[in-house]
Amino acid sequence: MLYFIIRRLLIIIPTALLVVSVTWLLIRLAPGNFYTGEKKLPPAIEENIKKKYGLDKSMGEQYLMMIKNVLSGDFGDSLKYQGQSVNEIIRRHLPYSATIGILAYLLALIVGLTAGILAALKQNSLLDYTSMAIAMLGISIPNFVLGPILVIIFALGLYILPPARWGGISNLILPVVTLSAIYAAYIARLTRAGMLEILRSDFIRTARAKGLDEKTILLRHALRGGIIPVVSFTGPALAHLLAGTVVVEKIFAIPGLGNIFIQSVLNRDEPLILGIVAFLSILIMVFNLLVDISYGFLDPRIRYS
Amino acid sequence: MKREIFCGLVLALISCILTSCSSSTAGGRYWGKTEPPKENVLRYISGSEPESLDPQIPTGQPEARILMALYDGLVEYHPKTMAPIPAIAESWEISPDGTEFIFYLRKNAKFSNGDPITAKDFVYTFRRGLSPELAAQNAYLAYEIKYAQAYNSREAFVKDKDGNFLLKKDFFEDTKASKSESDKTSTFGPDTEFHRFINSPERLTVPLDEKTREAFFKKNPKIKEAVEGKELVPVRAEDIGVEAIDDYTLRLKLALPAPYFLDLLAHQFFRVVNQRVIEKFGKEWTKPENIVTSGAFKLAIHRPYDVIVVVKNPTYWDAENVSLDRIEFYPSEEQTTSMNLYKAGSVDAIYNHTVPASWIEEMRKFKDEYLDHPEVAIEYYTFNVTKPPMNDIRVRKAFALAVDRFALSKFRKTTKPLVDFTPEGIFPQYEAARKRVYEELLKEYKIPVEEWEKRYFNPAKACQLMREAGYQVRDKENGRCEVLNFPADEVSVTYNTSESNKAVAEFMQAQWKQNLGITVQLRNMEWKTFLPTRKALDYKGMARAGWVGDYMDPNTFLKLFYGPDNDSSTGWYDPKFDRMLDEANSETDPEKRFELLARAEFYMLQAQPVIPLQTQATNWIKKPYVKGLYPNPGTLHAWKFVYIERDPAKWDRDVDNIMKESDPIIEEKIARLMQTQIEFEKRKKAGA
Repeated sequence: MLYFIIRRLLIIIPTALLVVSVTWLLIRLAPGNFYTGEKKLPPAIEENIKKKYGLDKSMGEQYLMMIKNVLSGDFGDSLKYQGQSVNEIIRRHLPYSATIGILAYLLALIVGLTAGILAALKQNSLLDYTSMAIAMLGISIPNFVLGPILVIIFALGLYILPPARWGGISNLILPVVTLSAIYAAYIARLTRAGMLEILRSDFIRTARAKGLDEKTILLRHALRGGIIPVVSFTGPALAHLLAGTVVVEKIFAIPGLGNIFIQSVLNRDEPLILGIVAFLSILIMVFNLLVDISYGFLDPRIRYS
Repeated sequence: MKREIFCGLVLALISCILTSCSSSTAGGRYWGKTEPPKENVLRYISGSEPESLDPQIPTGQPEARILMALYDGLVEYHPKTMAPIPAIAESWEISPDGTEFIFYLRKNAKFSNGDPITAKDFVYTFRRGLSPELAAQNAYLAYEIKYAQAYNSREAFVKDKDGNFLLKKDFFEDTKASKSESDKTSTFGPDTEFHRFINSPERLTVPLDEKTREAFFKKNPKIKEAVEGKELVPVRAEDIGVEAIDDYTLRLKLALPAPYFLDLLAHQFFRVVNQRVIEKFGKEWTKPENIVTSGAFKLAIHRPYDVIVVVKNPTYWDAENVSLDRIEFYPSEEQTTSMNLYKAGSVDAIYNHTVPASWIEEMRKFKDEYLDHPEVAIEYYTFNVTKPPMNDIRVRKAFALAVDRFALSKFRKTTKPLVDFTPEGIFPQYEAARKRVYEELLKEYKIPVEEWEKRYFNPAKACQLMREAGYQVRDKENGRCEVLNFPADEVSVTYNTSESNKAVAEFMQAQWKQNLGITVQLRNMEWKTFLPTRKALDYKGMARAGWVGDYMDPNTFLKLFYGPDNDSSTGWYDPKFDRMLDEANSETDPEKRFELLARAEFYMLQAQPVIPLQTQATNWIKKPYVKGLYPNPGTLHAWKFVYIERDPAKWDRDVDNIMKESDPIIEEKIARLMQTQIEFEKRKKAGA
């Protein structure tokens, strides 16, 4: 087990470096620069800028500089936002995304698991059909449609919730609901499917034959196996949710990491793009690892050597 | 039964959505919730997150607006006309030759930390903005100041063995050796050592960097010879034409007469910053805990991408004139989100160009809120005059005349048709002068008046020109025609990818097809690819272009065609035009100067290197209780004049007339500010 974890952790470093290198190359291949704008710059001013940011050095030198920065964990200063370091920007904006993300995650888990378990227990009942129909709707309606619809109803129609921006708890409701909808729907469907499969398996029948009561069967035996598909789905999903979701952050003007990421690409803000890409890739790999580890605890049949 | 309940719920949901949509737009004088905020605060959506709160760094309009709240300059923009009005300088004078400015600063101006603001702070600000190490993109705005360009471009004076410097006039006999060079002794203001130096004949400067210098020498072999073996003395910050005569008197020296320079000084690039704080904190100086500002408001909170809160600055010299206690700037570029916040009453105004195109018709109905006024910005198409068939002036004119500009404006909904190169409805005095001049010029050029009046759209004339250019032309109804043997493959319209640019290009394409029977191709490119392509003239036929004035003077548009390596992206250059522009800008009488500029504009347009298309228009909304927030030509707001009106009877009505109506509260404030300058001029006249 320990060996497995160490090996996986070691792989993360070269993978992240590879991701960053490819990103760097792509940025360099894209035409334009962080300072290209509507008005043409006099050549002397362009020279001043190149000197200031070390863009007058050779590509090889610039690449090595970048790699050195990444390895030291310091991505330097943003090109666009003067006097702000990349690490500072990520640190500052992560909490916004994380707050919304974690709340949406919890909401999705509660709603999704409840709906899924109930649907599985009362298979083919009206409850099953209704919750699965709503789940299907949740999967099919993209959040850039759901968000504005919620805004129209609750912010512009009823004037009971703010339409956007960061602020109090009331500001959180719409984005969290919008964000969690699709995850809740997936979790509900996965839970239902997982539970149905497990409930039909031999060891559950054995447990029933042993005379265990329904509650113990359900919570101790069925649920542990039944939610494995949910875990493998929600692990990476949590990483995505934490790191910011572009669409919802845009719709609700939330100063989260996803918003910053998009802006950094439009601005061709190289250090910031690289910083966020590195951070995201590491985050996703770590969560994948955590998911893999958790399998071992959930399902006694899975073992790591 | 249960299915019915489910269906009922869905129906209820849908109807709820529909009613909340329609109830908000139908009826009601105002759009959405319209209640003044309880506090004296303005909540304003300001566009993209500012690059920096250092006034000398950012170049965008969204930043300019925020920085105008935080910093004060020598002059401030008039809230309606954007003409300079006194700010830290309570009065000023301009030398008879138009190359020197003296500013008399008020003695009670203070930074937000209480430090007094003196002429030395302005000297520091100007030098800092121009330093190559700061690498400010806006540094070019100050290039009119003597030796500013040389300092910013890392150049050097050339000293010979006897300690004499080589002079520019010995190498360049063209237009640039201006008249002011000849008067060796300027008596404008007190005589100082620096004043003698800065008024001595302009020294030659050459690039310090060896590679750049070699390239420069290649173009000017005569200079290479003269410079060889001589000492290069780098141009220093102390050499630029900015001088603190005493603590409250500042003198500027320009390389050439530039009467418009005063208009430029309200730009954020020239607004004063605090040396002590910048040197103490370095690049961290703009952090909320460190920043020191000079304007009517000071920074209270800065949460990037969320909010910038500025509060009234009690140490501001004009604090009693500041009406708002607080402004909250919300950086958001998402148009729909902004509109939602506005409608829900969470914000009071939104920055310019934010109403989505598909909403404009709807928003126009809210006459007290939607602002559609001309801007100091134009859209035009450039011709690549270096390649056939567009190297033929007759073909260029034909293409320009074959576009119905009124139809274009109607199609675009917010813009105004444009046929000259300076925007219409922005410089009334210039336009008056231009009208006079054009009447004379029509006689001179023997252009019939009726033909002149039809220059917004004249397909018959266009067909005639094509015929004159040697093409086979078959006439059709309504003066239209079909040009048979035109090399349409050699002509395309290149534009940067955007919905609106595409719409305009398709409109133009249809016009030429309809009126000349020529189908041009359309090519779109991503913005950051498009710019270098257009600059290098790597396009066939035509390319889309836009220009936003840097300051309130026609020169900011006409200078695009100035010089052999000009910014017009057309390949057009005419030394006669340069001479006309120089002559105009050396003229100190404003009216005569405008006439000369109009002549230059007419001369350039006779060569038709561009097709002017439209004057841009503002496109934003504000709540009627927000007063003093005017759709001026740059949509740049002097925030100290803005106030919240709580009495609905006094709210803004029909904002199409907002620029004509006078607001006694604001007029009174402006009059009070202007007083110092008016008195100064009176005294001067009496003295003379």
